[in-house]
Amino acid sequence: MAKKKIGKIVFLIVICLFLAVQLYPVLWLFLASIKPTTELSAAPFALPKSPTLANYIKIFSDGKILGYMWNSFKITAVSIVLIVFLSATAGFAISKFRFKLTGRIYAFFTFGIMIPVQITLIPLFIFYSRMHILNTSFSLILPQVGFALPLSVMLFVSFYSFIPNELIESAIVDGCSPYRTFISIVFPLAKNTVITVASMHSIFIWNDFIFANTFISEQAAKTVALGLKDYVGAFGNVDWGATYAAIAVSILPPMIVYFALNKWVAEGMTAGAVKG
Amino acid sequence: MGILRDRKAFCVFLLPGLLFYILAVFYPIEESIRLSFMEWGGIGARKFVGLENYIHMFRDPVFYTAFVNNLIYLVIVVSMQLIIGLIFAVLLTYMTKHVALIKTLYYVPCIITTVAVTQLFRSMYATEPTGLINQIINVFGIRSISWLTNIKTVLAAVSLPEGWRFAGMYMVIFYAALISLDKEVMEAARVDGATDWQLLIKIKLPMIRQIILLTLTMCLTGALRGFDIPFLLTNGGPGNVSELMSTYMYKKAFSSNQYGYGSTLSVFIIIESILVVALLRAVMSEEKTLVKKKQHAGGQ
Repeated sequence: MAKKKIGKIVFLIVICLFLAVQLYPVLWLFLASIKPTTELSAAPFALPKSPTLANYIKIFSDGKILGYMWNSFKITAVSIVLIVFLSATAGFAISKFRFKLTGRIYAFFTFGIMIPVQITLIPLFIFYSRMHILNTSFSLILPQVGFALPLSVMLFVSFYSFIPNELIESAIVDGCSPYRTFISIVFPLAKNTVITVASMHSIFIWNDFIFANTFISEQAAKTVALGLKDYVGAFGNVDWGATYAAIAVSILPPMIVYFALNKWVAEGMTAGAVKG
Repeated sequence: MGILRDRKAFCVFLLPGLLFYILAVFYPIEESIRLSFMEWGGIGARKFVGLENYIHMFRDPVFYTAFVNNLIYLVIVVSMQLIIGLIFAVLLTYMTKHVALIKTLYYVPCIITTVAVTQLFRSMYATEPTGLINQIINVFGIRSISWLTNIKTVLAAVSLPEGWRFAGMYMVIFYAALISLDKEVMEAARVDGATDWQLLIKIKLPMIRQIILLTLTMCLTGALRGFDIPFLLTNGGPGNVSELMSTYMYKKAFSSNQYGYGSTLSVFIIIESILVVALLRAVMSEEKTLVKKKQHAGGQ
């Protein structure tokens, strides 16, 4: 009995240790952001002795971070609407229409999961600069939506497979057009899939660095991830406090989305692995 | 297979998504392939050079460095994600309370932007002021190491954050697979006197083989496209010591304006990813037929 108890305690310690490794950096970030700069350089890993909001006041007073966040918000919101709309409809076409091609088209969509996003950078950069649309929201929305489609289409198709064909058939018999059937019957049923797709991709898109770093160079068009890098540069190695505060503010929105909707977010990310 | 047969409605539903997907994903692939046979510095006319870029690539020592580095990066990241993920998923199956909370918290690192992750690790690796990792090794009497400039440690140092970031996610996936296993089989084995360890090695792990292979696919393609953290932490430096395929491609295209050669490297990355996935899929379908055969034999 005693042996079992010791085993249990060791087990709990191991679980908590891993939890600490996973969470400590994040907690530390928030703690570091409320430390005065002097404390940060003297004892960077101790608990804050005299917590202060000075770092936050500093980053909000120049207002840059709010502009970055607004840009990220715009891009995320437009992308999410497009992703949900395009994948819900394409998934419906693949899943509920009886044509020979549907299997092939589905395979074509899932093929995209293998494609690394970096390979679009050169062609899109050239395309955008020729069209003079570098530094626009569109330049980020296009690849974000394109690369979100494979997984989203997969999630919708796998949900639609649970909707019985008879339901659709009876709607058609009752005189509904396919469009009406989709809008008033199928799409409302897919609420959970919509939340999964939207919450997961909103986190991904908000966090994007690589597209923004390539297609955005103007100060006014910068997104949060990019602005963060800029902050670090601007304050250099001197003012870490402000940097940490900026990071803390910028990771807050995805954290809120995640903690509010974590069931759906986790479902989407897990599905990516299991169905890929 | 669906039931609707309205061709016009089919196109209305399918085409917007399909066209967007082709424009955003396949047009760039096609352009990359085309550009990989050209020489172009960003202005002026493109010059068709045939296979010259490819020949150049196979003679480029940095390409080989990046390729080998990418393999090491891959091994570190994948083994961290799979092994840590699996161990903690197994441990978690013994927990009865607070599982949902712990799962939620383990996930947190992968919802943070890579720029923030990079900053976190940069300060943990730091020597001045002494970062967390150096403080820990100092306790054991080892002198501080400047992880990001030391050529022996830098590659591991840029790989570690990526492994850390997703370990929790893979744990959640494995956990879901483990708890969905048929309980009766476990009970039967227990009655026959199997220990927990035997149960794990001989029954549970073989039963979630498919999931392990699937996550391996995801892990591998994820690691092959590793970019953000190495790029931000060291940008391949010092020299090319921590250069990966994607950071090298980025450098060639956007710092040296060699769009043609950069595209050649892109094409190589695409081929690499497709090959890995194809290989794993072949292994998986073989497994599937094997399982089917076994079940078939068992049934007779």
